[in-house]
Amino acid sequence: MKVDSGFLHTLHLGGEFDANLCMNCGTCTALCPLGIELMPRKLFRRVLLGDKESVVGQSETIFSCLLCRMCESNCPAGIHIAENVRSLRTYLNHEVYGLAEA
Amino acid sequence: MTGRRIGVVVCQCGGNISDYVDTEKVRREIEKEGDVAVAKVEMFACSDAAQQATIQDIKDKKLDGVVVCSCSPKLHTATFRAMASRAGLNPYEYTQVNLREQCSWAHTHDKDAATEKGIKLVRAGVAKTRLSEPLTRIRVDTVPQAVVIGAGVAGLRSALALSDLGISVHLVEKSSKAGGQVARWGTLFPNDRTGSELVDRLVHEVSSRENIVLYLNSELVGKEGRVGDFTVKIRTGTADTITLEVGAIVVATGFDPYTPKQGEFGFGLPGVITLPEFKELLAQHPNPIVYQGRPIRSVAYVYCVGSRGPTNEEGNHTYCSRYCCSATSHLATVVSGLDPSVRQFHLFRDIRTYGKYEHLYETALRRGSVYLRFTEEDPPTVARDTGGLVVKVHDRLLAGEEVEIRPDLVVLVTGMVARENDALTRALKIPVGQDGFYREVHVKLRPVETVVDGVFIVGAAQGPKNVAESVQSALASVSKSAALLMKGYVDLDPLVARVDPSLCVWCDECTKACPYGAISEVEYGDKHVAEVNSVLCKGEGACVPVCPKQAVSVRGYTNEQILSMIDALAKEAA
Ligand SMILES: Cc1cc2nc3c(=O)[nH]c(=O)nc-3n(C[C@H](O)[C@H](O)[C@H](O)COP(=O)(O)OP(=O)(O)OC[C@H]3O[C@@H](n4cnc5c(N)ncnc54)[C@H](O)[C@@H]3O)c2cc1C
Ligand code: SF4
Ligand code: SF4
Ligand code: SF4
Repeated sequence: MKVDSGFLHTLHLGGEFDANLCMNCGTCTALCPLGIELMPRKLFRRVLLGDKESVVGQSETIFSCLLCRMCESNCPAGIHIAENVRSLRTYLNHEVYGLAEA
Repeated sequence: MTGRRIGVVVCQCGGNISDYVDTEKVRREIEKEGDVAVAKVEMFACSDAAQQATIQDIKDKKLDGVVVCSCSPKLHTATFRAMASRAGLNPYEYTQVNLREQCSWAHTHDKDAATEKGIKLVRAGVAKTRLSEPLTRIRVDTVPQAVVIGAGVAGLRSALALSDLGISVHLVEKSSKAGGQVARWGTLFPNDRTGSELVDRLVHEVSSRENIVLYLNSELVGKEGRVGDFTVKIRTGTADTITLEVGAIVVATGFDPYTPKQGEFGFGLPGVITLPEFKELLAQHPNPIVYQGRPIRSVAYVYCVGSRGPTNEEGNHTYCSRYCCSATSHLATVVSGLDPSVRQFHLFRDIRTYGKYEHLYETALRRGSVYLRFTEEDPPTVARDTGGLVVKVHDRLLAGEEVEIRPDLVVLVTGMVARENDALTRALKIPVGQDGFYREVHVKLRPVETVVDGVFIVGAAQGPKNVAESVQSALASVSKSAALLMKGYVDLDPLVARVDPSLCVWCDECTKACPYGAISEVEYGDKHVAEVNSVLCKGEGACVPVCPKQAVSVRGYTNEQILSMIDALAKEAA
């Protein structure tokens, strides 16, 4: 994968995305009722590394999240997972689907 | 039989010895030797209980010599000499036999032969003790002054603390400015003070002390004498050489930052710099962050450059440089403080922000730094193409997938290496470890002492250290120096050479052999003979084999003792 610094910039400056303290434990993935292997751990790593291509490619997964916060309430690093998923959705809406902010 | 009454203790060392040497058999054999009044086996001869029992034997059985057969004399000679003293026996009537390093550990494959050898070693120890004599330690007055070499944080802090105790200090700095390297680094971890602020305060304090003399552009070029009473020669800035009398010498000569080889992680390419270079750049021009006219929007740090390699060969030091994980994580927070939009990628092997520095790593993460872990076998690559710098690394958290980063700047997190200081090392005769840094006597128990009594090593001269650790070792050396200098005297080992003037014909051979200049010519009746200055003599015995008349011998290791030991070793088992 290639680091896309434009992507990192937009997310960092525009969104609230924050998963820097994620320790990659996998608790979130194990607890997710949807059982989506990518969510949220691997997806977040790709976001942090600026893997725009793969994040955009996973937009369906990102939109399938229930925002139930099962993961978030058990995350030992206190990551605001649901907020992060929201900010990714906002990014996709703006940058990929060309939707204006409501 | 000589009429001596010798006690022998055979130590099992909790199995270290007795697993391979039949200690009971050794005891039985040695008991049969003449002059052995008592022979015992102990589980741990150095334990309080065993020492107490030995003391009791010395008193009850009126022993006049003791042999403990245990570990290396380096470890416990002092322990058992002290034990002998407590029992009222002269400590030089004590002999240590090394049954562990020189016997059980060396011959684990053949217990019978190890036991045979053990018996012989103990016999030799008994033979030496038969000829031992009571000796008194040599008392020398100490000079209440110290010389500190190197005026970095470690040297400055040593000088101030010695001065606090009323000990006069000569502070010798090779360069034209006191302060060492810290002044170059700008903001320091962990408390965000600048390095120049820190050293300016110390230098100012030093200059206000009446009992500290600072010599700039100066070097130590010679050392004579011994602990408590050294004579050192200093070549000063004005190129004349002065002579000083000092009781202790503190070596605080610091380190050098590692310089990568051409091509090592792209070193030499435009945009690839070292951590010291980046620190200096930020210290001088903090905002905006610009390198060679170009604004810096993203940085990739490559950790452990020059450290933690597989061997100690050039550019491949096996040690961890300690300061760099903390310094780099801290630096990342400084950078994000200046410009939060700068993207920072840390390519690391392990993060060692140990102890109280862990928060530096966490803060760097919080402020947006991304850490990617690589292995020693699979390091990142740094190259340059038409689009600029390209860094490739396999990210462990993406199951080894290759990540390609195009940073504006690559910073090589270079470690610390020993500073080239051969002339000083030769003048002081202090040992250097495999890693090139000055070597202490014992890493844990005697971390600032060297094998040369009265010469101490502090700060990064002894090994990689941050400022706090450098100061800690500086202060440790001050307490060791003070213990030496404030008592007013030191007691030296009396195991020194002596000349029998009736045999000496003054041929001058011993004088030439002695590396310490301890032998001189004196009148004796109507002839001239050699005489040993027992304060200068180190008892190393270079004079002994060169004497054609066998007139010189070293106390505690006399020719008679050595010959009797050889006879004992050669004696066949009964
Ligand atoms: C890039 C970088 C950043 C760092 N950042 C931090 C930080 O933020 N916080 C922190 O705690 N530590 C930091 N450190 C570590 C810090 O630099 C060292 O801990 C400190 O410099 C050690 O002090 P010292 O006095 O032992 O050695 P030095 O600072 O090297 O001083 C040695 C002095 O001895 C002199 N000298 C050398 N040879 C002779 C000789 N033969 N005769 C006379 N004088 C001699 C030298 O000229 C020098 O003045 C950093 C190190 C580096 C490389
Ligand atoms: S539970 Fe939290 S810390 Fe663990 S992998 Fe998921 S986001 Fe990261
Ligand atoms: S919030 Fe989304 S990712 Fe987290 S457990 Fe619920 S569905 Fe899964
Ligand atoms: S402190 Fe960190 S960067 Fe420095 S050598 Fe040790 S592990 Fe490597």
